Amino acid sequence: MTTTRRNLLKFVGGGAAGALLTPAPWRLITDTALWSENWPGIPRPARGEIRARFTHCTLCPAGCAVRARCVNGQPVSLTGVKPHPISHGALCPWGIAGHHLPYHPARVRQGPVKEALAAVARAMDQRSAGERVAVLDLRPGRTVSWTYRRAMAAIENGLYLAPRQPAYSIDLAAAETVVSFGAPLFDGWGTPGNVFAARGNFRLVQIEPVESRTAALADMWLPIRPGTETAMAAALGGETTIAEAARLTGVGEEAIGAVKEAAENGPAVVLAADPSSPLMSLNAKLRALGRTVVARREAPLPEAWKKAAPVTEMAAAPDGAIRVLLIDESLPGGYVPWQEIEPKLAANAVVVVFTSTTEGYARHARYVLPSPVYPEAAEDIGPAIDTVGEVFRIAAPLLAPVVPVVNPGEFVARIAGLPQSDPLRERADAIHQAGRGALLGYADGKSTPAKEVTADNFWKTLNQGGCWMDDTGKKAAPGKLEFIAAGEPPHDELPLMVVAAGGRRGGLAPPLMSKLERESNLRMAANRVALSPADARSNGIENGGRCLLETACGRLSVVATIDAGVPAGVVEVAAGPRIADLCGASPRARVVRA
Amino acid sequence: MTAQNQNRRAKRYGMSIDIDKCNGCGACMMACAVENNIPPLPEAANDRRGVTWIRVYKVDNHRPYPERRIAFVPVLCQQCGHDTPCVHVCPQQAVEVDPATGIVGQMPERCLGCRYCMVACPYHARYFNWWDPKWPAGMEKTLNPDVAPRMRGVVEKCNFCHGRWHAAQQKAAAAGKSEIDPADYVPACVEACPTGALRFGDLNDSSSQVAQDAERPESFRLLEKLGTEPKIHYRSQRGWVREIANAPRPEGKDEARG
Amino acid sequence: MIGGKIAFASGMLVALAGGWLAFPRILYQTRLQPVNFSHKVHAEKAGTKCEDCHSFRDDGTYAGIPTLDKCSGCHAAAMGTTVAEKNFIDQYVTPNREPQWLSYAQQPENVYFSHIAHVKLGHVKCEQCHGNEGGAATLRPYQRDPISGYSRDIWGRPVSPIGLRTEGGMRMDDCVDCHRRQGLEYSCMGCHK
Repeated sequence: MTTTRRNLLKFVGGGAAGALLTPAPWRLITDTALWSENWPGIPRPARGEIRARFTHCTLCPAGCAVRARCVNGQPVSLTGVKPHPISHGALCPWGIAGHHLPYHPARVRQGPVKEALAAVARAMDQRSAGERVAVLDLRPGRTVSWTYRRAMAAIENGLYLAPRQPAYSIDLAAAETVVSFGAPLFDGWGTPGNVFAARGNFRLVQIEPVESRTAALADMWLPIRPGTETAMAAALGGETTIAEAARLTGVGEEAIGAVKEAAENGPAVVLAADPSSPLMSLNAKLRALGRTVVARREAPLPEAWKKAAPVTEMAAAPDGAIRVLLIDESLPGGYVPWQEIEPKLAANAVVVVFTSTTEGYARHARYVLPSPVYPEAAEDIGPAIDTVGEVFRIAAPLLAPVVPVVNPGEFVARIAGLPQSDPLRERADAIHQAGRGALLGYADGKSTPAKEVTADNFWKTLNQGGCWMDDTGKKAAPGKLEFIAAGEPPHDELPLMVVAAGGRRGGLAPPLMSKLERESNLRMAANRVALSPADARSNGIENGGRCLLETACGRLSVVATIDAGVPAGVVEVAAGPRIADLCGASPRARVVRA
Repeated sequence: MTAQNQNRRAKRYGMSIDIDKCNGCGACMMACAVENNIPPLPEAANDRRGVTWIRVYKVDNHRPYPERRIAFVPVLCQQCGHDTPCVHVCPQQAVEVDPATGIVGQMPERCLGCRYCMVACPYHARYFNWWDPKWPAGMEKTLNPDVAPRMRGVVEKCNFCHGRWHAAQQKAAAAGKSEIDPADYVPACVEACPTGALRFGDLNDSSSQVAQDAERPESFRLLEKLGTEPKIHYRSQRGWVREIANAPRPEGKDEARG
Repeated sequence: MIGGKIAFASGMLVALAGGWLAFPRILYQTRLQPVNFSHKVHAEKAGTKCEDCHSFRDDGTYAGIPTLDKCSGCHAAAMGTTVAEKNFIDQYVTPNREPQWLSYAQQPENVYFSHIAHVKLGHVKCEQCHGNEGGAATLRPYQRDPISGYSRDIWGRPVSPIGLRTEGGMRMDDCVDCHRRQGLEYSCMGCHK
């Protein structure tokens, strides 16, 4: 046999034919397929012992009880605690993926802590007479809020600022008729589990221009002309006639009459989208005060804390007088529009914000310091709007902070020179000493009178997800209720009324919210607005198109959705800090094509 | 089937969904993604390419404002019991109906990604992995060990939280029992629903809430005329909601789309 | 002409020999276990049974290969005179370092297997699936397919009698065969996640 090219090719051909008759190529193909299933980049879940840990959610004042499934101590999923008498096992979409927040890619991961401390100290020393040091606490009612108040009392000309909190609580279980002026009862109001547990006991009349999730499930939805809520309240309160209200609001007389009758004849409660709205005064006329609208109660405090700075609202602060402003934005929720804050700042004011998001005050503050996110820090949750009676709940941390964080309470205590302490423990001890109420176990909802538990066990149970409650004592009517006047009347240049969609608040949202906002169109993402087909047409805006939302305070680039459920004359917005800065106190806007 | 199996009556797991209770919050969608290791998709994803094994749709009665009314309908794999379309068309036999539970099980490791099953599914309940799963740094620590992550190029869908069924079986075995305790097997979406709109159970067990819900007069299933015998039973007192389940042609062009 | 046929035939023979004889050998990487552990010594001299070290946790999950603290319980100091034990104590017990054992039967991520269901309900003995490990004086080498990453025990039909293990296979086919023989129903989702 000679070695020619032809023979070589025949040899190779024979080799190929032979190879196909062996397992080699087939095995290599299946192995490659298997390799593609396991190639690097596909993470493998960690293995280990699975335990349950209990805590409370801090993403909103509801403070729902949480059961965390932990693998080797790492929380991998969260559910509610079914036997819990306040939250009844419910968690909202944000709470369900809350354990992902520490790993949020947009989280604030570092900040100039030493510089901030130095700048604050310098400014405190060098300020002129009358210049204030202020703390803006966006989630008042917590134990750390009392630390801020004590710190501001210890500093000369200290000022404790907080957004207005309602001085009342709503006892939903005692109501048979609920008249809601746009309050998102089924989409983020109060404690979801509490609301749905009480659902069978009341008839809900939802009065708002847009058919929200709450309106869709209400017993009655009154599609009111935007901006005419006061006229409706006047008729329900007997100040004007039903015919007059029907004329102004566009709602039928029969419907208004039915609502008025129901509200007058049984225990009723009136709710409003803004808890400080003057619409709430209708409750007095419906004899709800002391029945369904009761005084808000706080859990006992250590005596020494009562010598603390009073709560001041931003509007009441003197203009141009704040030299140092420390903003606690560590928990999502309240937001005071920047245009309300800016006039109160002195020249070369030092503004420090403790936050985890770049979307809020980080846009305005000089020093942005990373705060812990849920579930990294020990916190307590103040009472929610539907919490009747006193409660004290600690959100015990489920993991250590994954980035170096600054604890806002400790920072403020330090600059004020307060002695080092554990305020949560002090508060728990004070509550235990008060000797009343009951301690709820974390897993089973069984309660033990606080008197029968030692102080140490009390503290231990609270840190394992337990809850202290005292709902004895007669329900008191709330003290004098103060309200903030409603927004401006419409005018030609800003024809659209701004209505906030329920659900979304400020702060970091778990990355999985993309399922609801991007991978489906169930909820509006941040900086999105919804317009009626008529308004969209007249402004030349397409579905999903970019446009500018303009108000008296400025403009913002947003993406528009066309929604036939939004009436002409209304623009529905997804709430958030950027939108709040824009719309804040003046809910009138126009939308122009970008 | 041997004597051992004849003692175990086959189950037919299904769900009953009360549309009049669903407030469209989306807690079920979040819980599903957390339980089944579904990552948040990259920025390029939209509602056509998202992976949402359960997805809540907003439907309306096509009337103009203010007669317009909306409702929320959670749609997941309907676990078709008869002539299951996806099982029929799969060239790889990567889907099968489990005779013991009635659950239509999707095998990502057999799937070659042809997406024929996505075309065949009348409910759009199947989702393709356009991208490799990528979690933000550190978030991969929160993966559920009971469910395997899938790679890109395969189709996936709801399997009634099979990882929880395995866990329930393991718990029963540890106690020496061969039948699981129904309270131990609850899919993530049902567990998460804050309004109680979702219920899960064995349709073959006439005493279960789900089987009773299925018998109610206002109960209906999606696209019943196709004969796929889905195991998800919806119910609503509102006639227009029941009409939508039959997918009637909209009258004229739908203005609401803009 | 005949030269061409010979060329073809010899090419074919080379390929066949390579594919059937050489390929199974070179496909697998062989690695040794970190410690030269003897099951036989522990079974005979220490009187331990399988479940003394390979135990179930309280919630029914299987602990698998024991961690260092199990071994340190007895081997804090040398109990015998072997070099293997001395090495073990020097390299692992003293510096408190976990040995990186190579698990022959480690299944891929998408497989669900419940030890307790098989042990408690199925009354399956350890030896039926794992072979008579207890009687082995040394741990056999770990063979791994580097492309797929799987252990030889869990994937791949034995194609050649050379290097064939006839018992204790952990491949899907072995599981399915046993389930078929027992008359148990099996479905994809029963074992896959």
